[in-house]
Amino acid sequence: MYLKLFQVSKYVYQPIKQTHVQKQKTILVVEDEKSLREALIDILNMENFITIEAKNGREGVELALLKHPDLILLDIIMPEMDGMATLKKIRENKWGVNIPVIILTNLSTVKNREQLVDDKVASRPTYYLIKSDWKLLDIVKKIEKILTM
Amino acid sequence: MNKQSIISIPDDTIFKLKILAEEKESVRRKLVVTAEKLRLKAKQLAVTAEEKESVRRKLVITAEKLVATAKEKERVRRKFATTAKQLTITAREKESVRRKLAITAEQLRIKAKQLAVTAEEKENVRRKLVITAEKLVMTAKEKESVRRELVGTAKKLRLKAMQLAETAKEKESVRRKLAITAGKLKKSRETLERKVIERTKSLEMARAKEEAILLSIGDGLIATDEKGKIILINKTAEKLLEKESKNVMGKIFSETIHLEDEYGIPIPLAKHPVSMALLGNKISTKNVSEIIYHARKDKSRFPLSIMVTPVTLGKKVIGTIKVFRDITNEHQIDRAKTEFVSLASHQLRTPLSTVSWYTEMLLGGKIGELNEKQTKYLNEVYQGNQRMIDLVNALLDVSRLELGTFPIEPKQINIIKLIKSVIHEQGPQINSKKIAFSFLPEKVPIINADPKLVRMIVQNILSNSIKYTQAEGQVSISISSVDKKNVLFKVSDNGYGIPRNQQDKIFTKLFRADNVREKDTDGTGLGLYIVKSVVENSGGKIWFESTKEELGTRFFVTLPIKKIL
Repeated sequence: MYLKLFQVSKYVYQPIKQTHVQKQKTILVVEDEKSLREALIDILNMENFITIEAKNGREGVELALLKHPDLILLDIIMPEMDGMATLKKIRENKWGVNIPVIILTNLSTVKNREQLVDDKVASRPTYYLIKSDWKLLDIVKKIEKILTM
Repeated sequence: MNKQSIISIPDDTIFKLKILAEEKESVRRKLVVTAEKLRLKAKQLAVTAEEKESVRRKLVITAEKLVATAKEKERVRRKFATTAKQLTITAREKESVRRKLAITAEQLRIKAKQLAVTAEEKENVRRKLVITAEKLVMTAKEKESVRRELVGTAKKLRLKAMQLAETAKEKESVRRKLAITAGKLKKSRETLERKVIERTKSLEMARAKEEAILLSIGDGLIATDEKGKIILINKTAEKLLEKESKNVMGKIFSETIHLEDEYGIPIPLAKHPVSMALLGNKISTKNVSEIIYHARKDKSRFPLSIMVTPVTLGKKVIGTIKVFRDITNEHQIDRAKTEFVSLASHQLRTPLSTVSWYTEMLLGGKIGELNEKQTKYLNEVYQGNQRMIDLVNALLDVSRLELGTFPIEPKQINIIKLIKSVIHEQGPQINSKKIAFSFLPEKVPIINADPKLVRMIVQNILSNSIKYTQAEGQVSISISSVDKKNVLFKVSDNGYGIPRNQQDKIFTKLFRADNVREKDTDGTGLGLYIVKSVVENSGGKIWFESTKEELGTRFFVTLPIKKIL
C-alpha cells in the first residue's frame, strides 16, 4: 500500500538507503509516552528497520538483554525504572557495554547532563538528543550514521 | 642761465631778500632743531616710561621680597623671644660682675686717698728733706697723675655699671612678661585637659552603644583581625553556629568555623571567604550553585548566605567582617523552583514533540497525499508549534541563567568555525530574503569557552540581524582580536534599527521594540536578555550602535580568550 502511494504522491518520499548493511537492523524503542513511541516506531518501520517496543525501563532492560538489538532509543523519565537506571543495567551486562544508546528526552537539566558526562567519559557510544529540538527524519539520519560507524 | 642776469632788480632789494631768506633759513633751522629736541624729548619720555615700568616691576619684586623678609623677620623675632630667657640669665651674671667692679672701684678710691695722705706725709718729709723734696714733689705729681687716671678709670667703670643696671632692668621687664605668658599657657592647658576628659567619657559612651548595636544585629556577624583571628562575634552568630563567644575569641576563623560545599567537602583554605577577603576581595554567595554550608558539631548542617568584606585602613587590610544568615528556607524555595523548571520543561516539551513529529510525518507525505490547502494549514501548525518550542527553550535558558544552574562545559574552540556553522544554519533565511551577506574573519586565537553558550550569543545576534533587515538588505559579520585578552565579534546590518527612545530597554526581559513588533509578531523578547546575561557572566561586554533607524544596527560583543565561559 505504502509503496504505491509513494509512487503517485506529489510529495515523493524517498526512504533513506541502508547502504552499509545487507541485513535489516533492529532498534529497541524505550518510551512510556504512547504517542511518541508510536511515531518513532512508524518512521523506523518506514525506513526498513525492525523495531521492538518497551513501555518502561524494566521492559527495556528485559527486551534488550533478550533480543540484543543493534541500537537503543531511550527516554529518561519513565515509570517503574527510569532511563538512567535502565542504561546502568544495560551497561552492566557484557553484551550491553558497547551497544550504542541514544538518550532521547525532553529533560535538559544539570543533573542529568552530569550523569551523561560520566557515561561519555567511559567512551561508550551514548548520545543525548532533546526530542522537541529534533525532527523524526534527523533522528533516523543520526541512527544511520551511528550504525555505519 | 641765471634769471637775475636777465631781469634787473635793484641791489638793495636783492640784499633785503637775501637777508629775509637767511632769516627764514635760520628760523627753519631753529624749527628743525626744536623738532629734533622734541623728538629727543619724546624718546627720553619713552625711555623714562620704560624705566618707570621696570621700576614698577622691581617694586613688585621688592614688595614680594619684603613679604618674604617680613616672614623672615617674624621667624627672627621668635628666635629673639627664645633667646630672651637666655639673656635674662646673662643679665644676672653681668649684674654680679658689675657689683664686683664697683667694689674694686671703691677699693681703688680708698687706695687713692691713702696715696694722697702719703703725699702729704712726704711733703712734710720734703720740708724736712729739702734736697729730696723736689724729687718727692715730682714723684707726688707723677703719683697724682696716676691717681687721676685711676679715678678716670673708676668713673668709666661706674658708668659701665650703670648701663649694665639699665640693661638688667629691661631684661627684668621681659622676664615678667614671659612669666605672665607662662601663666596663661598653664590655664589653657588645664582647660584642654578638662575637655579631653569630657570627650573621652562621651566617646566611651558612643563605643559602648555601637558595640551593643553590633552585637544585637539580627544577622550573624563575625569580625577577624588581619591574621584571621576572631575579634568579635555577635549573639546571632553564637546562636547560629552553636559557639560561645568566650570559646572562639582569638581563635583562627577557618579552624574554628567549619564550612563545606554542597557535597560535604570542606572549603579549601585558599577559597575560604575569610582568606579571600584578607587579600582584599569582597565575597558574597548569591547563587544556589555557590552555597556554602556550615557543619555543626552534631554533623547537621545548614546553608549560609555569606558576605565577607575586608576592613581596610588606608590601603592596608586590617581584618574582615563576615555577615551571614541561615538560608535554609530560601534554599528550599530555590530547589523547588529548579525542580519545577525541570519538570515543567519535560511536561511542556512532550506534547510539543508529539505535535511536531506527527505534523512532520503528515507533511512528509508518508501516509498520503495532502492537497495544497492542507499542506498550507499543516505548515502553519508546524510553525506555530516550532515557535512554542523556541519559547519553552528560551524560558528554560532564562530560568537556568537566573538560578545560576546553567551547565558550563568550557572547551578550546575555534570561533571562526563556530560562526561559519551558525551562518550555515541561517542559510535558508539569508537566501529567502536575498540578503547580501558577508563574513570577514581576521586571524583570532583559539578561545576557551563553552561552545554552546558562544553559539547562543552568535546565533541570537545574527538571527536578529537577518530577521530585522528588509529583503535585499545587507548583513555583515566580522571577528577580530581587540587586544591580547579579548576577541571582538561584530554584526552590522542596514535594517530597521532600534528606535532611539527604546534603546535603553533593548536588553530587558520580554521587551520588543515597537518598530519590529509591527513588522514581525514572532519573537519572544528573550534573546538579547539571555545574550547579555551570558556575555556578562563570561566576563565579556555587549553594546550596540543604532544612530538612525534607517541606518540599521551594529552589535558588538567582546569575549575574553582565557576566561571560562
